[in-house]
Amino acid sequence: MSWSETALVALVVLAVALVLAWRGASRLDRLHRKVAASRIALDAQLVRRASAAVELAASGALDPASAVLVADAAYAASDAGPVTSPAAALQMDGLGADRERAESGLTATLREVLGAPETADELLAGSSSEVVAALGDAWYRATLARRFHNEAVAQARRVRRLWYVRLLRLAGRAPMPRTVELDDVLPHALEPTAG
Amino acid sequence: MSPARRRGHLRVGIVCPYSFDAPGGVQFHVRDLAEALQAAGHEVSVLAPSSDDTELPDVVTAAGRAVPVPYNGSVARLTFGPVTANRVRRWLEGGIDGRPFDIVHLHEPMVPSLSMLALWQATQPVVATFHTSQTRSRALQVAYPLVRQSLEKIAARIAVSEDARRTLVDHLGGDAVVIPNGVYADVFASSPRRPEWTGTPEAPTVAFLGRLDEPRKGLDVLVGAVPAILDRVPGARFLVAGRGNGAVAETRQRLGDRAASVEFLGGVSDADKAALLASADLYVAPQTGGESFGIVLVEAMSAGSVVVASDLGAFQRVLDDGAAGALFRNGDPADLAATVLDLLADPARRDAYRAHAARWVQRFDWSVVTEQVLAVYDMTLAADHAIGGDVVGRVMGLFPRRVRGDA
Repeated sequence: MSWSETALVALVVLAVALVLAWRGASRLDRLHRKVAASRIALDAQLVRRASAAVELAASGALDPASAVLVADAAYAASDAGPVTSPAAALQMDGLGADRERAESGLTATLREVLGAPETADELLAGSSSEVVAALGDAWYRATLARRFHNEAVAQARRVRRLWYVRLLRLAGRAPMPRTVELDDVLPHALEPTAG
Repeated sequence: MSPARRRGHLRVGIVCPYSFDAPGGVQFHVRDLAEALQAAGHEVSVLAPSSDDTELPDVVTAAGRAVPVPYNGSVARLTFGPVTANRVRRWLEGGIDGRPFDIVHLHEPMVPSLSMLALWQATQPVVATFHTSQTRSRALQVAYPLVRQSLEKIAARIAVSEDARRTLVDHLGGDAVVIPNGVYADVFASSPRRPEWTGTPEAPTVAFLGRLDEPRKGLDVLVGAVPAILDRVPGARFLVAGRGNGAVAETRQRLGDRAASVEFLGGVSDADKAALLASADLYVAPQTGGESFGIVLVEAMSAGSVVVASDLGAFQRVLDDGAAGALFRNGDPADLAATVLDLLADPARRDAYRAHAARWVQRFDWSVVTEQVLAVYDMTLAADHAIGGDVVGRVMGLFPRRVRGDA
């Protein structure tokens, strides 16, 4: 092969690499932003849920023992992690084990307190119905947000594994996104209803 | 994510891949969803294939004629091609009265029709609903690498049932939120009965709904159970609603002199369907497969009919694992006959099913379902707003996001 042929081949390879890099990088960029944004959305709903739980505990609708436990779990959840700043969301490192444990704990406590359909119906009919509805609302949205976030994470991870993405180091120094794993199963009685 | 946005007024563009010329489950779902969203105070525009001479609800924009093409084992009426792609683009850009869509909600984006074209071209936040539960399709496996990238545009995935969700997980990976199909429970609950379809203790009525010539709908199974039921309850009447070529004559021949107990009603209107379900003592759903949800079962329960269904996964779930209706072994006429006879002989058990079903169907009412869909829109927009041009956008954004004007 003459040097001109070699140069031509090199040019073609370079051009292909450039196209792949351009497309891969913009795709990955879009997915990274999706991960970060859905994480912010999830965080916001979890914070809403925790503050609704505190309000419920303070409303007097619960028995004192439940109120203390709910408040404690809610504070534990909100203390475990600050509200995500965009910079923190960029780390794409899930919510952190402490926060995930605390949120799961809040879920477990709330489910214990509100899990029985009669209890929830009673609360929804009583004077604190708005607080309970707000709690259900934020909770349901948190479950949605977590699914969507984890879905975005899975897509980003899939693209990060592509050979040319790895070869050309298209992800730069961005950390590998991690899913958020926590227990957020909503009691049936709190599922959204009309209103 | 502000409360104002949550309760705010949205402009929603909905895309339906199937033609309104031939009504089907997805089309009804889209029509009802659009109505429910409008009732909740949002603006909606629906894009669907349709010929010019079909009468369409006002919100529907016709995207051109649907062509019958063989797809995935049956004939589907789909719309595709470059002209259509252009129409979809114009609709996406046009928004509602010149104001852009906040959300584009695609139905069945993996069906090669309008939704797929819309997904490919959409710049708005995209929500997608998956209706089908099906076995792996080879065509989809081939095309998957081509559509995978545009699938990444979907911000939120909804499956209408656990079975549809599982299909989605198996085919595409990833996950989806399950939001059931909606039913206007009130319409069925308040439907008047028809004396000619109302059963008596001596002559109870058993209803069937579905295409007669589609084996999956299971008319065969019901017909197989008819003689055994008539042996014990000679007065029983079977009301069979639905179209189908040749099935009527075939069934009559098969039943011989007992054919008189089976009445064929042909295709029925929505009002007739509700009246039939409200009047009949039992509604039998002998479907043998391919069902992802079972909306008719919910309608029957809402109307106050007692449901007897084959034990498909989807039906088990929609009947609350047999608490809201009776289940029989799929494809087994003998078991169907035994179940029907048990129920006819036991009014207390029928009442128990009816009472449980009346509570259970509430979760499928459009008021509840719409609230869930709006929560999905809400989270989609929350995520979308979170990226819009802030630090994340600037740091990560080698290629800045197109900013959409709001007016």
